[in-house]
Amino acid sequence: MIDFGRVQKELQECSRDMAASGIKVSPKSDNLARLVGTIPGPIGTPYEGGTFQIDISLPDGYPFEPPKMQFATKVWHPNISSQSGAICLDILKDQWSPALTLKTALLSVQALLSAPEPDDPQDAVVAQQYIRENQTFLATARYWTESFAKASSLGVEEKVQRLVEMGFAEAHVRSALEAVGGDENLALEKLCSG
Amino acid sequence: MIGIFMIFDFSCSCRVLCKFFAHGACLKGEHCEFSHDWKDPPHNICTYYQKGLCAYGSRCRYEHVKASRSHSSASSSSTNARQSLVSDIVPPGNSTRSVLGGLTPVPGSPMELSASSRPFIPPTKPAWNQEYGHHDSLDDWDIGEASSIRPSDRPICSFAAAGNCPRGEKCPHLHGDLCPTCGKHCLHPFRPEERVEHLKSCEKKQKHLEALKHSQEIECSVCLERVLSKPTAAERKFGLLSECDHPFCISCIRNWRSSSPTSGMDVNSALRACPICRKLSYFVIPSVIWYSSKEEKQDIVDSYKAKLKSIDCKHFDFGNGNCPFGSSCFYKHAYRDGRLEEVVLRHLGSEDGETVIAKNIRLSEFLGNMRIR
Repeated sequence: MIDFGRVQKELQECSRDMAASGIKVSPKSDNLARLVGTIPGPIGTPYEGGTFQIDISLPDGYPFEPPKMQFATKVWHPNISSQSGAICLDILKDQWSPALTLKTALLSVQALLSAPEPDDPQDAVVAQQYIRENQTFLATARYWTESFAKASSLGVEEKVQRLVEMGFAEAHVRSALEAVGGDENLALEKLCSG
Repeated sequence: MIGIFMIFDFSCSCRVLCKFFAHGACLKGEHCEFSHDWKDPPHNICTYYQKGLCAYGSRCRYEHVKASRSHSSASSSSTNARQSLVSDIVPPGNSTRSVLGGLTPVPGSPMELSASSRPFIPPTKPAWNQEYGHHDSLDDWDIGEASSIRPSDRPICSFAAAGNCPRGEKCPHLHGDLCPTCGKHCLHPFRPEERVEHLKSCEKKQKHLEALKHSQEIECSVCLERVLSKPTAAERKFGLLSECDHPFCISCIRNWRSSSPTSGMDVNSALRACPICRKLSYFVIPSVIWYSSKEEKQDIVDSYKAKLKSIDCKHFDFGNGNCPFGSSCFYKHAYRDGRLEEVVLRHLGSEDGETVIAKNIRLSEFLGNMRIR
Protein backbone atom coordinates (compact mmCIF):
# COMPACT_ATOMS: atom_id res chain seq x y z
CA MET A 1 0.00 0.00 0.00
CA ILE A 2 1.40 3.40 -0.93
CA ASP A 3 1.99 5.74 1.97
CA PHE A 4 -0.14 8.60 0.62
CA GLY A 5 0.48 10.66 3.72
CA ARG A 6 4.13 10.76 2.82
CA VAL A 7 3.40 11.52 -0.85
CA GLN A 8 1.27 14.48 0.19
CA LYS A 9 4.01 15.73 2.50
CA GLU A 10 6.51 15.42 -0.33
CA LEU A 11 4.29 17.41 -2.68
CA GLN A 12 3.90 20.18 -0.11
CA GLU A 13 7.62 20.26 0.54
CA CYS A 14 8.28 20.39 -3.19
CA SER A 15 5.92 23.26 -3.86
CA ARG A 16 7.37 25.14 -0.90
CA ASP A 17 10.86 25.39 -2.36
CA MET A 18 9.96 25.27 -6.01
CA ALA A 19 11.49 28.69 -6.53
CA ALA A 20 14.87 27.48 -5.29
CA SER A 21 15.04 24.06 -6.92
CA GLY A 22 12.94 24.68 -10.03
CA ILE A 23 11.53 21.21 -9.57
CA LYS A 24 7.81 20.74 -9.72
CA VAL A 25 5.75 17.66 -8.96
CA SER A 26 2.03 17.58 -9.54
CA PRO A 27 -0.51 14.77 -9.58
CA LYS A 28 -1.72 13.69 -13.00
CA SER A 29 -5.27 13.14 -11.85
CA ASP A 30 -6.86 12.82 -8.45
CA ASN A 31 -4.90 9.62 -7.93
CA LEU A 32 -1.65 10.34 -6.13
CA ALA A 33 -0.01 7.22 -7.55
CA ARG A 34 0.51 8.88 -10.92
CA LEU A 35 2.37 12.15 -11.03
CA VAL A 36 4.22 14.43 -13.38
CA GLY A 37 7.55 15.94 -12.48
CA THR A 38 9.10 18.92 -14.23
CA ILE A 39 12.81 19.72 -14.16
CA PRO A 40 14.66 22.58 -15.81
CA GLY A 41 17.63 21.66 -18.02
CA PRO A 42 20.86 22.27 -16.12
CA ILE A 43 22.75 25.45 -17.02
CA GLY A 44 25.91 24.97 -19.06
CA THR A 45 24.62 21.84 -20.78
CA PRO A 46 22.92 21.38 -24.15
CA TYR A 47 19.70 20.97 -22.14
CA GLU A 48 19.87 24.53 -20.79
CA GLY A 49 16.66 26.46 -21.18
CA GLY A 50 14.56 23.37 -21.71
CA THR A 51 11.82 22.17 -19.41
CA PHE A 52 11.61 18.41 -19.15
CA GLN A 53 8.57 16.49 -18.10
CA ILE A 54 8.90 13.16 -16.35
CA ASP A 55 6.10 10.67 -15.86
CA ILE A 56 6.16 9.22 -12.36
CA SER A 57 4.20 6.22 -11.25
CA LEU A 58 4.43 5.02 -7.69
CA PRO A 59 4.50 1.27 -7.05
CA ASP A 60 2.44 -0.25 -4.23
CA GLY A 61 5.49 -0.56 -2.04
CA TYR A 62 6.44 3.12 -2.21
CA PRO A 63 8.51 4.42 -0.36
CA PHE A 64 10.12 1.02 0.17
CA GLU A 65 10.27 0.48 -3.60
CA PRO A 66 11.63 3.08 -6.02
CA PRO A 67 9.18 5.21 -8.02
CA LYS A 68 9.02 4.45 -11.74
CA MET A 69 10.22 7.44 -13.74
CA GLN A 70 10.29 8.00 -17.47
CA PHE A 71 10.90 11.09 -19.57
CA ALA A 72 7.74 12.29 -21.27
CA THR A 73 9.72 14.95 -23.12
CA LYS A 74 12.03 13.58 -25.80
CA VAL A 75 15.65 14.01 -24.82
CA TRP A 76 19.00 13.14 -26.45
CA HIS A 77 21.15 11.68 -23.69
CA PRO A 78 23.28 8.50 -23.39
CA ASN A 79 21.46 7.31 -20.27
CA ILE A 80 17.95 8.12 -21.43
CA SER A 81 16.23 6.19 -24.17
CA SER A 82 15.59 8.47 -27.13
CA GLN A 83 12.62 6.23 -28.00
CA SER A 84 10.84 5.50 -24.74
CA GLY A 85 12.33 8.04 -22.32
CA ALA A 86 13.43 5.23 -19.95
CA ILE A 87 16.04 6.42 -17.46
CA CYS A 88 19.12 4.44 -16.50
CA LEU A 89 19.90 5.59 -12.98
CA ASP A 90 20.99 3.39 -10.10
CA ILE A 91 18.98 5.15 -7.40
CA LEU A 92 15.80 4.39 -9.36
CA LYS A 93 16.75 0.73 -9.29
CA ASP A 94 18.95 -1.17 -6.87
CA GLN A 95 20.34 1.84 -5.04
CA TRP A 96 16.96 3.20 -4.00
CA SER A 97 16.56 4.18 -0.40
CA PRO A 98 13.34 5.08 1.39
CA ALA A 99 15.01 8.24 2.65
CA LEU A 100 15.01 9.55 -0.93
CA THR A 101 12.00 11.54 -2.05
CA LEU A 102 10.48 12.40 -5.40
CA LYS A 103 12.27 15.73 -5.23
CA THR A 104 15.67 14.24 -4.50
CA ALA A 105 15.15 11.60 -7.18
CA LEU A 106 14.27 14.32 -9.71
CA LEU A 107 17.32 16.29 -8.60
CA SER A 108 19.40 13.19 -9.33
CA VAL A 109 17.84 12.94 -12.77
CA GLN A 110 18.70 16.60 -13.32
CA ALA A 111 22.26 15.85 -12.24
CA LEU A 112 22.32 12.95 -14.68
CA LEU A 113 21.53 15.40 -17.49
CA SER A 114 24.66 17.39 -16.68
CA ALA A 115 26.86 14.33 -16.11
CA PRO A 116 26.18 11.59 -18.66
CA GLU A 117 27.59 8.10 -18.05
CA PRO A 118 28.34 6.78 -21.57
CA ASP A 119 29.93 3.62 -20.10
CA ASP A 120 26.59 2.48 -18.73
CA PRO A 121 24.28 3.56 -21.52
CA GLN A 122 20.54 3.24 -21.89
CA ASP A 123 20.62 4.35 -25.52
CA ALA A 124 23.61 2.79 -27.30
CA VAL A 125 23.33 5.01 -30.38
CA VAL A 126 23.46 8.20 -28.33
CA ALA A 127 26.29 6.82 -26.21
CA GLN A 128 28.35 5.97 -29.31
CA GLN A 129 27.82 9.45 -30.64
CA TYR A 130 28.70 10.97 -27.29
CA ILE A 131 32.02 9.12 -27.25
CA ARG A 132 32.99 9.34 -30.92
CA GLU A 133 31.52 12.61 -32.19
CA ASN A 134 30.96 14.73 -29.16
CA GLN A 135 30.32 17.89 -31.22
CA THR A 136 27.55 16.20 -33.15
CA PHE A 137 26.14 14.88 -29.88
CA LEU A 138 26.06 18.36 -28.38
CA ALA A 139 24.40 19.79 -31.48
CA THR A 140 21.78 17.03 -31.56
CA ALA A 141 21.05 17.37 -27.87
CA ARG A 142 20.70 21.11 -28.25
CA TYR A 143 18.45 20.71 -31.25
CA TRP A 144 16.22 18.23 -29.38
CA THR A 145 16.02 20.57 -26.45
CA GLU A 146 15.04 23.41 -28.79
CA SER A 147 12.39 21.42 -30.55
CA PHE A 148 10.90 19.31 -27.74
CA ALA A 149 11.69 20.91 -24.42
CA LYS A 150 11.09 24.53 -25.30
CA ALA A 151 8.01 24.11 -27.42
CA SER A 152 5.73 25.75 -24.94
CA SER A 153 7.75 28.92 -24.51
CA LEU A 154 9.86 29.76 -27.54
CA GLY A 155 8.54 29.69 -31.04
CA VAL A 156 4.96 29.66 -29.92
CA GLU A 157 4.20 32.81 -31.79
CA GLU A 158 5.48 31.30 -35.04
CA LYS A 159 3.35 28.21 -34.57
CA VAL A 160 0.32 30.31 -33.79
CA GLN A 161 1.05 32.36 -36.87
CA ARG A 162 1.27 29.26 -39.08
CA LEU A 163 -1.88 27.67 -37.70
CA VAL A 164 -3.81 30.92 -37.97
CA GLU A 165 -2.71 31.11 -41.62
CA MET A 166 -4.28 27.68 -42.10
CA GLY A 167 -7.60 29.23 -41.20
CA PHE A 168 -8.12 28.53 -37.50
CA ALA A 169 -9.17 31.15 -34.98
CA GLU A 170 -6.26 32.45 -32.92
CA ALA A 171 -7.92 31.77 -29.55
CA HIS A 172 -8.61 28.17 -30.54
CA VAL A 173 -5.06 27.75 -31.81
CA ARG A 174 -3.61 28.99 -28.55
CA SER A 175 -5.78 26.78 -26.39
CA ALA A 176 -5.09 23.76 -28.58
CA LEU A 177 -1.33 24.36 -28.44
CA GLU A 178 -1.50 24.69 -24.71
CA ALA A 179 -3.53 21.52 -24.34
CA VAL A 180 -1.01 19.37 -26.23
CA GLY A 181 2.03 20.95 -24.64
CA GLY A 182 3.12 23.05 -27.61
CA ASP A 183 3.48 20.38 -30.28
CA GLU A 184 2.40 21.95 -33.57
CA ASN A 185 1.33 18.71 -35.25
CA LEU A 186 -0.69 17.49 -32.30
CA ALA A 187 -2.32 20.90 -32.06
CA LEU A 188 -3.26 20.73 -35.73
CA GLU A 189 -4.74 17.27 -35.20
CA LYS A 190 -6.71 18.51 -32.25
CA LEU A 191 -7.97 21.52 -34.19
CA CYS A 192 -9.04 19.32 -37.11
CA SER A 193 -10.79 16.76 -34.96
CA GLY A 194 -12.95 19.33 -33.30
CA MET B 1 -8.31 10.15 64.59
CA ILE B 2 -11.36 9.82 62.51
CA GLY B 3 -11.13 8.25 59.15
CA ILE B 4 -11.81 10.71 56.44
CA PHE B 5 -12.81 9.37 53.12
CA MET B 6 -11.05 11.46 50.62
CA ILE B 7 -12.96 12.62 47.67
CA PHE B 8 -10.37 13.74 45.27
CA ASP B 9 -11.19 16.90 43.46
CA PHE B 10 -10.57 16.24 39.82
CA SER B 11 -10.07 19.86 39.00
CA CYS B 12 -6.64 19.47 40.58
CA SER B 13 -5.76 16.50 38.49
CA CYS B 14 -5.43 18.55 35.37
CA ARG B 15 -2.34 20.04 36.91
CA VAL B 16 -0.72 16.68 37.29
CA LEU B 17 1.20 15.26 34.36
CA CYS B 18 -0.57 12.26 32.86
CA LYS B 19 1.65 9.25 33.40
CA PHE B 20 0.47 7.61 30.19
CA PHE B 21 1.31 10.75 28.27
CA ALA B 22 4.73 10.80 29.92
CA HIS B 23 5.31 7.30 28.63
CA GLY B 24 4.25 8.40 25.20
CA ALA B 25 0.85 6.76 24.96
CA CYS B 26 -2.26 8.32 26.44
CA LEU B 27 -5.28 6.84 24.75
CA LYS B 28 -7.57 9.58 26.00
CA GLY B 29 -5.78 12.29 24.07
CA GLU B 30 -7.42 15.66 24.52
CA HIS B 31 -10.12 14.26 26.76
CA CYS B 32 -7.68 13.10 29.38
CA GLU B 33 -8.40 14.61 32.77
CA PHE B 34 -4.70 14.73 33.51
CA SER B 35 -2.36 17.32 32.14
CA HIS B 36 -0.62 16.81 28.80
CA ASP B 37 1.70 19.68 29.45
CA TRP B 38 5.32 18.85 30.11
CA LYS B 39 5.61 21.75 32.49
CA ASP B 40 3.31 20.10 35.01
CA PRO B 41 4.84 17.85 37.61
CA PRO B 42 4.15 14.15 37.48
CA HIS B 43 2.25 12.30 40.17
CA ASN B 44 4.84 10.03 41.49
CA ILE B 45 4.27 9.08 45.07
CA CYS B 46 3.94 5.37 45.68
CA THR B 47 0.61 4.71 47.33
CA TYR B 48 1.70 1.33 48.64
CA TYR B 49 4.63 2.94 50.36
CA GLN B 50 2.23 5.29 52.05
CA LYS B 51 0.35 2.30 53.41
CA GLY B 52 3.56 0.96 54.76
CA LEU B 53 4.42 -1.81 52.36
CA CYS B 54 5.58 -1.65 48.77
CA ALA B 55 6.55 -5.00 47.32
CA TYR B 56 8.86 -3.35 44.80
CA GLY B 57 11.06 -1.79 47.41
CA SER B 58 13.87 0.17 45.88
CA ARG B 59 12.89 -0.98 42.38
CA CYS B 60 9.54 0.78 42.59
CA ARG B 61 9.18 3.40 39.89
CA TYR B 62 7.18 5.65 42.20
CA GLU B 63 8.68 7.83 44.83
CA HIS B 64 9.08 6.44 48.27
CA VAL B 65 8.61 9.56 50.28
CA LYS B 66 6.61 9.82 53.43
CA ALA B 67 3.68 11.90 52.47
CA SER B 68 1.42 9.89 54.61
CA ARG B 69 -0.87 12.39 56.18
CA SER B 70 -4.32 12.23 54.90
CA HIS B 71 -5.47 15.59 53.83
CA SER B 72 -8.91 16.80 53.74
CA SER B 73 -10.31 19.04 51.19
CA ALA B 74 -13.91 19.73 51.75
CA SER B 75 -15.31 18.69 48.49
CA SER B 76 -19.02 19.03 48.65
CA SER B 77 -20.22 21.33 45.94
CA SER B 78 -21.41 23.98 48.36
CA THR B 79 -18.05 24.40 50.02
CA ASN B 80 -16.04 24.01 46.88
CA ALA B 81 -15.06 27.62 46.79
CA ARG B 82 -13.89 27.61 50.33
CA GLN B 83 -11.81 24.52 50.41
CA SER B 84 -9.75 24.35 53.48
CA LEU B 85 -6.69 22.53 54.43
CA VAL B 86 -6.91 21.04 57.81
CA SER B 87 -4.28 19.52 59.89
CA ASP B 88 -5.04 15.96 60.56
CA ILE B 89 -2.88 16.06 63.59
CA VAL B 90 -5.28 15.89 66.40
CA PRO B 91 -3.99 16.07 69.91
CA PRO B 92 -4.89 12.99 71.91
CA GLY B 93 -7.36 14.79 74.08
CA ASN B 94 -9.16 16.04 71.07
CA SER B 95 -9.09 12.88 69.08
CA THR B 96 -12.81 12.40 69.24
CA ARG B 97 -13.56 15.79 67.86
CA SER B 98 -14.97 15.77 64.41
CA VAL B 99 -12.39 17.06 62.06
CA LEU B 100 -15.02 18.23 59.66
CA GLY B 101 -16.51 20.28 62.44
CA GLY B 102 -13.35 22.26 62.53
CA LEU B 103 -13.76 23.03 58.89
CA THR B 104 -16.59 25.46 59.19
CA PRO B 105 -14.97 28.78 58.51
CA VAL B 106 -15.96 31.31 61.06
CA PRO B 107 -15.39 34.84 59.88
CA GLY B 108 -12.92 36.56 62.07
CA SER B 109 -12.06 33.39 63.89
CA PRO B 110 -8.37 32.77 64.43
CA MET B 111 -8.48 29.67 62.26
CA GLU B 112 -5.33 30.23 60.37
CA LEU B 113 -6.10 27.59 57.82
CA SER B 114 -9.53 28.60 56.70
CA ALA B 115 -9.89 29.32 53.04
CA SER B 116 -10.94 32.87 53.69
CA SER B 117 -7.58 33.74 55.10
CA ARG B 118 -5.39 31.75 52.74
CA PRO B 119 -5.78 30.88 49.11
CA PHE B 120 -6.17 27.21 48.49
CA ILE B 121 -3.20 25.85 46.70
CA PRO B 122 -4.00 22.53 45.17
CA PRO B 123 -1.36 20.03 46.13
CA THR B 124 0.72 19.18 43.12
CA LYS B 125 1.40 15.66 44.22
CA PRO B 126 -1.84 14.19 45.41
CA ALA B 127 -0.56 11.15 47.19
CA TRP B 128 -3.50 10.96 49.45
CA ASN B 129 -6.26 10.26 47.01
CA GLN B 130 -6.67 7.01 48.79
CA GLU B 131 -9.47 5.86 50.88
CA TYR B 132 -7.87 5.07 54.12
CA GLY B 133 -10.10 2.67 55.92
CA HIS B 134 -7.63 2.16 58.68
CA HIS B 135 -4.80 4.13 60.06
CA ASP B 136 -1.44 2.83 60.72
CA SER B 137 0.74 4.34 63.34
CA LEU B 138 2.22 6.74 60.82
CA ASP B 139 -0.95 8.72 60.66
CA ASP B 140 -1.23 9.32 64.32
CA TRP B 141 1.86 11.18 65.22
CA ASP B 142 1.51 13.34 68.17
CA ILE B 143 3.47 16.50 68.16
CA GLY B 144 3.60 16.54 71.90
CA GLU B 145 5.50 13.29 71.89
CA ALA B 146 7.65 14.23 68.94
CA SER B 147 10.59 15.03 71.10
CA SER B 148 10.64 11.56 72.59
CA ILE B 149 10.95 9.77 69.27
CA ARG B 150 14.01 9.51 67.16
CA PRO B 151 14.21 12.20 64.47
CA SER B 152 14.50 9.63 61.75
CA ASP B 153 11.15 8.17 62.77
CA ARG B 154 9.36 11.46 62.40
CA PRO B 155 7.65 11.82 59.08
CA ILE B 156 8.20 14.97 57.10
CA CYS B 157 5.45 17.41 56.24
CA SER B 158 3.64 16.04 53.25
CA PHE B 159 2.52 19.46 52.05
CA ALA B 160 6.10 20.55 51.78
CA ALA B 161 7.03 17.24 50.17
CA ALA B 162 4.31 17.76 47.60
CA GLY B 163 5.62 21.18 46.74
CA ASN B 164 4.01 23.74 48.98
CA CYS B 165 3.17 23.90 52.65
CA PRO B 166 0.54 26.58 53.31
CA ARG B 167 1.74 26.94 56.89
CA GLY B 168 5.27 27.77 55.87
CA GLU B 169 7.46 28.54 58.83
CA LYS B 170 4.67 27.97 61.31
CA CYS B 171 4.24 24.35 60.31
CA PRO B 172 4.66 22.12 63.34
CA HIS B 173 6.02 19.29 61.23
CA LEU B 174 9.42 18.50 60.02
CA HIS B 175 10.05 20.09 56.65
CA GLY B 176 12.18 18.03 54.29
CA ASP B 177 15.21 19.40 52.53
CA LEU B 178 14.91 20.70 49.02
CA CYS B 179 15.50 18.16 46.29
CA PRO B 180 17.52 19.98 43.62
CA THR B 181 15.98 17.91 40.82
CA CYS B 182 12.25 18.05 41.48
CA GLY B 183 12.40 21.26 43.51
CA LYS B 184 10.33 19.94 46.39
CA HIS B 185 11.03 19.72 50.08
CA CYS B 186 10.85 15.97 50.08
CA LEU B 187 14.25 14.87 51.36
CA HIS B 188 14.04 13.56 54.88
CA PRO B 189 16.81 15.21 56.89
CA PHE B 190 17.39 12.14 59.06
CA ARG B 191 16.97 9.25 56.67
CA PRO B 192 20.09 9.09 54.49
CA GLU B 193 19.06 5.96 52.52
CA GLU B 194 15.75 7.50 51.61
CA ARG B 195 17.47 10.66 50.48
CA VAL B 196 19.88 8.81 48.24
CA GLU B 197 17.08 6.67 46.88
CA HIS B 198 14.94 9.69 46.14
CA LEU B 199 17.74 11.67 44.58
CA LYS B 200 18.69 8.79 42.37
CA SER B 201 15.21 8.00 41.16
CA CYS B 202 14.35 11.67 40.81
CA GLU B 203 17.37 12.32 38.63
CA LYS B 204 16.67 9.29 36.52
CA LYS B 205 13.09 10.31 36.03
CA GLN B 206 14.05 13.85 35.20
CA LYS B 207 16.50 12.61 32.61
CA HIS B 208 13.90 10.39 31.04
CA LEU B 209 11.42 13.25 30.84
CA GLU B 210 14.05 15.53 29.35
CA ALA B 211 14.95 12.93 26.77
CA LEU B 212 11.30 12.36 25.96
CA LYS B 213 10.85 16.09 25.53
CA HIS B 214 13.77 16.31 23.14
CA SER B 215 12.51 13.31 21.24
CA GLN B 216 9.16 14.96 20.50
CA GLU B 217 10.47 16.93 17.57
CA ILE B 218 12.36 14.16 15.87
CA GLU B 219 11.06 13.05 12.50
CA CYS B 220 11.39 9.71 10.81
CA SER B 221 13.19 10.16 7.50
CA VAL B 222 11.04 7.59 5.78
CA CYS B 223 7.46 8.49 6.62
CA LEU B 224 8.45 12.14 7.28
CA GLU B 225 6.29 12.20 10.40
CA ARG B 226 7.21 12.96 13.97
CA VAL B 227 7.80 9.59 15.51
CA LEU B 228 6.22 10.38 18.86
CA SER B 229 3.14 11.88 17.21
CA LYS B 230 2.11 8.78 15.32
CA PRO B 231 -1.46 7.56 15.78
CA THR B 232 -0.93 4.26 17.57
CA ALA B 233 1.21 3.61 20.61
CA ALA B 234 3.04 0.78 18.91
CA GLU B 235 4.27 3.14 16.22
CA ARG B 236 5.54 5.76 18.65
CA LYS B 237 8.94 4.17 18.96
CA PHE B 238 12.28 4.88 17.41
CA GLY B 239 14.28 2.22 15.64
CA LEU B 240 17.91 2.84 16.47
CA LEU B 241 20.52 1.55 14.08
CA SER B 242 23.57 0.08 15.72
CA GLU B 243 26.12 1.75 13.46
CA CYS B 244 24.79 5.24 12.76
CA ASP B 245 22.66 7.96 14.31
CA HIS B 246 19.85 8.57 11.85
CA PRO B 247 16.36 8.55 13.31
CA PHE B 248 13.57 6.34 12.00
CA CYS B 249 10.40 5.04 13.47
CA ILE B 250 10.53 1.38 14.31
CA SER B 251 7.86 0.36 11.79
CA CYS B 252 9.51 2.19 8.87
CA ILE B 253 12.99 0.84 9.44
CA ARG B 254 11.73 -2.69 10.07
CA ASN B 255 9.58 -2.46 6.95
CA TRP B 256 12.56 -1.38 4.90
CA ARG B 257 14.88 -4.04 6.26
CA SER B 258 12.37 -6.79 5.75
CA SER B 259 11.04 -5.65 2.36
CA SER B 260 11.41 -8.33 -0.26
CA PRO B 261 14.22 -7.43 -2.62
CA THR B 262 12.07 -7.59 -5.74
CA SER B 263 13.75 -4.94 -7.79
CA GLY B 264 17.21 -6.40 -7.57
CA MET B 265 18.08 -4.75 -4.31
CA ASP B 266 20.67 -6.67 -2.41
CA VAL B 267 19.74 -7.68 1.13
CA ASN B 268 23.18 -7.21 2.56
CA SER B 269 24.28 -4.03 0.84
CA ALA B 270 21.02 -2.14 0.38
CA LEU B 271 18.44 -3.33 2.88
CA ARG B 272 20.74 -3.72 5.86
CA ALA B 273 22.13 -0.25 5.24
CA CYS B 274 20.89 2.98 6.73
CA PRO B 275 18.54 4.63 4.19
CA ILE B 276 20.39 7.90 4.66
CA CYS B 277 24.09 7.17 5.04
CA ARG B 278 24.08 3.58 3.71
CA LYS B 279 26.16 2.33 6.60
CA LEU B 280 25.48 -1.31 7.37
CA SER B 281 23.82 -2.06 10.68
CA TYR B 282 23.16 -5.59 11.78
CA PHE B 283 20.34 -4.94 14.18
CA VAL B 284 17.70 -2.40 15.09
CA ILE B 285 17.00 -1.38 18.67
CA PRO B 286 13.51 -0.20 19.58
CA SER B 287 13.40 2.77 21.95
CA VAL B 288 10.76 5.19 23.22
CA ILE B 289 13.25 8.01 23.49
CA TRP B 290 15.87 9.41 21.19
CA TYR B 291 19.35 9.70 22.64
CA SER B 292 21.52 12.79 22.68
CA SER B 293 24.87 11.25 23.50
CA LYS B 294 26.84 8.13 22.72
CA GLU B 295 26.57 6.95 26.33
CA GLU B 296 22.81 7.29 26.27
CA LYS B 297 22.65 5.22 23.10
CA GLN B 298 24.88 2.58 24.67
CA ASP B 299 22.56 2.50 27.70
CA ILE B 300 19.55 1.92 25.47
CA VAL B 301 21.35 -0.80 23.53
CA ASP B 302 22.59 -2.49 26.68
CA SER B 303 19.23 -2.50 28.41
CA TYR B 304 17.59 -3.83 25.24
CA LYS B 305 20.10 -6.63 24.97
CA ALA B 306 19.78 -7.41 28.68
CA LYS B 307 16.02 -7.63 28.30
CA LEU B 308 16.30 -10.02 25.36
CA LYS B 309 18.88 -12.08 27.20
CA SER B 310 16.27 -12.82 29.85
CA ILE B 311 13.82 -14.24 27.32
CA ASP B 312 14.17 -17.88 26.30
CA CYS B 313 15.08 -18.30 22.64
CA LYS B 314 12.26 -20.01 20.77
CA HIS B 315 14.65 -21.54 18.26
CA PHE B 316 16.84 -23.03 20.94
CA ASP B 317 13.72 -24.30 22.73
CA PHE B 318 15.49 -25.37 25.94
CA GLY B 319 17.97 -27.43 23.98
CA ASN B 320 15.39 -29.25 21.87
CA GLY B 321 15.79 -27.01 18.88
CA ASN B 322 18.58 -25.46 16.94
CA CYS B 323 19.12 -21.73 16.86
CA PRO B 324 20.42 -20.47 13.53
CA PHE B 325 22.08 -17.53 15.30
CA GLY B 326 24.17 -19.79 17.50
CA SER B 327 26.33 -18.01 19.99
CA SER B 328 25.43 -14.60 18.51
CA CYS B 329 21.77 -15.01 19.47
CA PHE B 330 20.40 -12.17 21.62
CA TYR B 331 17.99 -14.47 23.42
CA LYS B 332 18.63 -16.81 26.28
CA HIS B 333 19.95 -20.25 25.51
CA ALA B 334 19.24 -22.27 28.63
CA TYR B 335 18.05 -25.79 29.31
CA ARG B 336 14.97 -26.56 31.37
CA ASP B 337 16.99 -27.02 34.53
CA GLY B 338 18.29 -23.47 34.20
CA ARG B 339 21.73 -24.52 32.99
CA LEU B 340 23.02 -22.21 30.29
CA GLU B 341 24.16 -23.59 26.98
CA GLU B 342 27.88 -24.06 26.82
CA VAL B 343 29.29 -23.10 23.50
CA VAL B 344 32.36 -24.97 22.49
CA LEU B 345 33.60 -23.78 19.16
CA ARG B 346 35.71 -26.10 17.10
CA HIS B 347 38.54 -24.26 15.48
CA LEU B 348 39.94 -25.89 12.37
CA GLY B 349 42.91 -24.88 10.33
CA SER B 350 41.73 -24.56 6.77
CA GLU B 351 43.81 -25.29 3.67
CA ASP B 352 44.86 -21.68 3.18
CA GLY B 353 46.18 -21.47 6.70
CA GLU B 354 43.32 -19.48 8.18
CA THR B 355 41.44 -20.65 11.20
CA VAL B 356 37.79 -21.38 10.64
CA ILE B 357 35.07 -22.27 13.09
CA ALA B 358 33.57 -25.63 12.31
CA LYS B 359 29.82 -25.95 12.22
CA ASN B 360 28.10 -29.03 13.53
CA ILE B 361 29.43 -32.03 11.74
CA ARG B 362 27.17 -34.99 11.23
CA LEU B 363 28.16 -38.44 10.25
CA SER B 364 25.37 -38.49 7.68
CA GLU B 365 27.10 -35.77 5.72
CA PHE B 366 30.02 -38.07 5.09
CA LEU B 367 27.82 -41.06 4.42
CA GLY B 368 25.82 -39.12 1.88
CA ASN B 369 28.86 -38.73 -0.34
CA MET B 370 29.88 -42.34 -0.07
CA ARG B 371 29.18 -44.62 -2.93
CA ILE B 372 28.20 -48.06 -1.88
CA ARG B 373 28.89 -50.68 -4.43
